[in-house]
Amino acid sequence: MRWMLLLFMSLSLPAMADLDYALKPRQIAEDTWLLEGSTDNFATANGGNIVNTAFIVTERGVVVIDTGPSKRYGEAMRRAIAAVTDKPVIEVLLTHHHPDHVLGNQAFTDVPIGALAGTTELLHQQGDAMAQNMYRLVGDWMRGTEVVLPTRTLTAGVQRFGNHDLQLLSLGGHTGADLAILDQKTGVLFAGDLVFYQRALTTPNSPGLSVWLADIATLQALPWTLIVPGHGPVASDPQPFEQMRDYLSWLDQLMRDGAAQGSDMAEMIRSPIPERFAGISLSRYELIRSVSHLYPRYERTQMKRVDSATQQ
Amino acid sequence: MTWRASCLLACCLSLGQAAQAAGIESGKDPVPSVMWSFYHKQMLGDAPFVFDERVKLLAPPFAEDARQVPVEIDARAFKGEVVRILAWAELNPLPKIVDFEPVSGVLPWLSVRIRVEQATPLRAAVLTRDGLWHVGSTLIDAAGGGCTAPSVVRTQPGWEEHIGEVLGGRYPRGDFSRLRLQVAHPMDNGMVSGIPEFFINHAELRDSNNQVMARLELFPAVSENPNLAFDIEGAGQTRLVLRDNSGNEFDASIP
Repeated sequence: MRWMLLLFMSLSLPAMADLDYALKPRQIAEDTWLLEGSTDNFATANGGNIVNTAFIVTERGVVVIDTGPSKRYGEAMRRAIAAVTDKPVIEVLLTHHHPDHVLGNQAFTDVPIGALAGTTELLHQQGDAMAQNMYRLVGDWMRGTEVVLPTRTLTAGVQRFGNHDLQLLSLGGHTGADLAILDQKTGVLFAGDLVFYQRALTTPNSPGLSVWLADIATLQALPWTLIVPGHGPVASDPQPFEQMRDYLSWLDQLMRDGAAQGSDMAEMIRSPIPERFAGISLSRYELIRSVSHLYPRYERTQMKRVDSATQQ
Repeated sequence: MTWRASCLLACCLSLGQAAQAAGIESGKDPVPSVMWSFYHKQMLGDAPFVFDERVKLLAPPFAEDARQVPVEIDARAFKGEVVRILAWAELNPLPKIVDFEPVSGVLPWLSVRIRVEQATPLRAAVLTRDGLWHVGSTLIDAAGGGCTAPSVVRTQPGWEEHIGEVLGGRYPRGDFSRLRLQVAHPMDNGMVSGIPEFFINHAELRDSNNQVMARLELFPAVSENPNLAFDIEGAGQTRLVLRDNSGNEFDASIP
């Protein structure tokens, strides 16, 4: 019995030790640090670290933007912050309710967790199902992770955190409740998942691509100097906006044309993806998902009532 | 007959397969399945079959929405030879999807949306006039729960008033036209919170002279608000006649 336990431990300990996010904060502007995730899909190899989170070290304390995909990530983030500054964390701001951005909340229950009202509502409705799916996708990294709802409701406007004035924007193209944050001191724009860069955008809760396109225009018009996308590399040029606009317009036109030709979903997901998007990670995978989320709305615009009840 | 050639090839690959009554080698199952022999007996009555990639069963590699999984069955390689097409999802609690009989003026092609309860092999078996079943296969991954998820239709106030409403469209595509239909119906499969089975179980497509073009038996693996698409030859008004298991009849005409 004892040797079995020892054998088990010797097999399982290395596996446990491997589950380290190895978060390395990178300074991207004055007082501003980024934890950049990969542009891959959720997998047991990455523990769901496919997301960009960030923190701003203000005079008063640290403002955290998104908490990552798991309790383990949230805790690792907390340690990474402590390695950079002695200042306490004073507030968390969540950009939206998707699991890769909020499931680290458990590590921040000692501070206010702020989100748009819509984000809290969506997380309340969908959080448990999303967390469950994360366990399926990334496995043991998720151990002990539970949904923690935001404790403070954010509204659009400028909020002062120490020596940083943050302009909060209440938008909605990605999930219906999307917070974008412009740091007026540094010009860093935390776009959340309203901007994906070099990684295909995701649409499970999108109210529609036209809403999203309007949000991109709103963001681009801000006085930003650096864009932090929700996924993908930071940029100091407008390339992420241009890529988003190009990709959203292509997706919209593809589904319009498909609906006009009577294509079915199974055909739509096989549509060719233009060469210019070759550098965008996971475009086929996300096309399959987006067709499932959005195509039913497009196809209905090209159908009309044909039952006998209408003809009487 | 090219299938003989492919059977010969398959023969070499899997000598272990049980020989069929007609001495036909069925080839190697292209998907990992623990239930093929059971379904061979239950669905096809142990009749001679071949695994045949000319029957294209097209579905996404994973179910983004397990309640609405698009499936396309393409047996146009056997145009003029098809008697029946049976489709099922092996690991569904209610596996049967559709029994489709293209009679006249309809290509052996069908699209439909289904529910899946877990990751599963999907099958479409095409019976040709020579009495052989050609089996197309694919695998779909899924987080699951599509068959036991609460009805979306029933959460909409006044849904009862809309039962049997049909949205449709006809889309010319060269030498045939695509016919698409979406029927408002909860398609209750009897597996959700004490709601008994209530689903459209029969559909017929008829031409302008009321001649039957295709017959379909539908099963509760078909998604709520069923989507169906057909490719039809020739012009003229097409009628869809539907019946559910409570005896309600619905009728739609697509110009």
